[in-house]
Amino acid sequence: MFKRLLTLTLLIVLVSGVALFAVEDRLVIAVPWAGAELEAFLPVLQAFTDETGIEVTPITLRFEDLAVFLPAQFAAGITVADVIFMWSWFIEEKARAGHVLAITEVIDPADLLVGALDPVTIDNQLYGIAYTGKVKPGFWYRLSFFEKHGLTVPGTWEEFVALLEEIAQIPGIVAPIASGNGVGWPLSDIAEHFLIAFGGPELFKALVAGEIAWTDPTVEAIFADKLVPLLKAGHFGEPTEWTMAKELWWGGDYGLYFMGSWITGMVEDPENLGLFTLPGTEGMVFAIDYAFIPIYTERPAAAKKLISFLATRGQVIQVGKGGHLATYINVPLEAYPPVDARVAELLVGMVVLPDLDDTIGGAFQLAFWDQLKLLWVAPEMLPEVLGILEELAP
Amino acid sequence: MKQKLSRSLFLIPALALLSIFVVYPVVNTLYLSFLSPEGKFVFLSNYADLLTRREIINPRGFARGFAFGALPHNLLWTLIHLPLTVFFGLLLAVILRHVKGGVIIKSVIFLGMVTPMIIGGVLLRFIFDGRAGIVPVVLSIFNVAPRTLTAHPDTALIALILGSVWIWAGFSMVLYSAGLETIPKELYEAAQIDGATPRHIFFKITIPMLKPITTVVVTMTLLWNLRIFDIVYAATMGGPGGATNVLALQMFFYAFRRLEFNSAAVVATILMLLAMVAATPMIRSAWRESR
Repeated sequence: MFKRLLTLTLLIVLVSGVALFAVEDRLVIAVPWAGAELEAFLPVLQAFTDETGIEVTPITLRFEDLAVFLPAQFAAGITVADVIFMWSWFIEEKARAGHVLAITEVIDPADLLVGALDPVTIDNQLYGIAYTGKVKPGFWYRLSFFEKHGLTVPGTWEEFVALLEEIAQIPGIVAPIASGNGVGWPLSDIAEHFLIAFGGPELFKALVAGEIAWTDPTVEAIFADKLVPLLKAGHFGEPTEWTMAKELWWGGDYGLYFMGSWITGMVEDPENLGLFTLPGTEGMVFAIDYAFIPIYTERPAAAKKLISFLATRGQVIQVGKGGHLATYINVPLEAYPPVDARVAELLVGMVVLPDLDDTIGGAFQLAFWDQLKLLWVAPEMLPEVLGILEELAP
Repeated sequence: MKQKLSRSLFLIPALALLSIFVVYPVVNTLYLSFLSPEGKFVFLSNYADLLTRREIINPRGFARGFAFGALPHNLLWTLIHLPLTVFFGLLLAVILRHVKGGVIIKSVIFLGMVTPMIIGGVLLRFIFDGRAGIVPVVLSIFNVAPRTLTAHPDTALIALILGSVWIWAGFSMVLYSAGLETIPKELYEAAQIDGATPRHIFFKITIPMLKPITTVVVTMTLLWNLRIFDIVYAATMGGPGGATNVLALQMFFYAFRRLEFNSAAVVATILMLLAMVAATPMIRSAWRESR
């Protein structure tokens, strides 16, 4: 009896082992999405498997966590996944240190938006791909809210301030604009929008490149004359956890909410969404999700196939699920849901800009988030806030 | 002789594990703290440099009332958290000792202790939230305008410290409850016959008899205060403006965000030295008992 049981067990182990290794390639991809966002990504992976026969397992890992343990893994010559979504500054840094696989031969830069691959290109060698992205276009509002209270979209700065004052008078309103919080990035998006609107795309690019100081009078004036007076007047609400702030805004506690285009997939009725940028804005942050292959992958050929698919055909499927804008130029406009098509239209005529803190990264990114949280509740500390940012800027 | 040899042999596995996982990392961290990023031996220069950094000690913070730096924040945490934890733990243990259903109440209080600290941090974020939290609602009864206490630099640190008292008080309560059970009833009976008041009994019998427990509670709480990380990480990430930053969090930022491993090693060494000082009373007490 015991012998039979042992034979049966061995047989099961053998068969399951054969089944496991029967799959030619099995990739692991680290993605920053969970829940509904991950659900929307799974069809992309399924399409890749259908096309190539290579199975892909997604694992959710936040960029903040990857930044902590990937350096240690790379130092040990291992990797958590074959393809990893990560900040562009991190990919560049690790590519320079020799931890990232060059993929120049599998990607045609002409297939992607001009400049999209610049942050992950070093000496004409490509080390990552630009997947889809999200724009951080401006202030979202509920159409029904504006209609009910007879509010109109502002065409000038004065009209914008007047709109905020009008919203502040509405009974039940806590503050005209909801301030999302978390680790701090929602406030950085607002600050970036003000810098682009009142400093122009060139000043914004100069800040990213470290060519202009944060204490420069031009930069200081944008904060001191535009953002700080709104904070002091109480037009921005207290920083509140960003998903909770979204609920409160949608529920009518706030009139406006500055958020990225992913919000279209987070509200009950996207058709009730309206959007405007600060008057005079000529540029828009297009935050691209970048991915790379660590040199420590055991399946470089299959990983290259996956990354090539994500850079091109995969994006057609992804944008159809909502909340994403393609960097692959051959995605037809019909592939987008109507609300995202409207967001995509906003990009027309705008200078596309990188996300400031995601591009600079490192200690500056943390300080930028933290100092803005301080500025939001203590606007009188502007000189010190800008001084600290300047100390850590590139 | 043979018995001695076999005893020593049994020590080898433990000693090997300690050497690999404790002694070597400690020595290596200490050595790293004396090196420059280029690997040059600079002895105490890193320490001198670190102690002048704003994120460690911020003299300007003392003038305006917040963001004193990670080191003063840890000390402040200890100064406020330690006495409150000891006091509330003892108070709860004494009060709930003879209360009907006291065990259930104690279990509920102890839940804060068994909850992962990272979850505790998230809970604190919501508890102090101006719109959804219970603390601002309670404070509004006393005409305090509701606001998110963890979002403002002048209240963020004290909010986290008081929140952590709630989380940690269950630990001292359980220890004191166990300690109270070990005090012989005869002592109380004798005191009552001699006409001692409840106040006298508490201060002359209960408190002295709980001294070994107090040593453990104080030492463990001190060590916990020094290594406080997860609550701050989840609730405020050390902000706003560094107002809640603590040494362990700053060590994490140095190591994994700035990749300044020498600075991180310096912070780790300072923490280790402080922990050694904090653990001295318990080690002494254990030493005395063993003799």
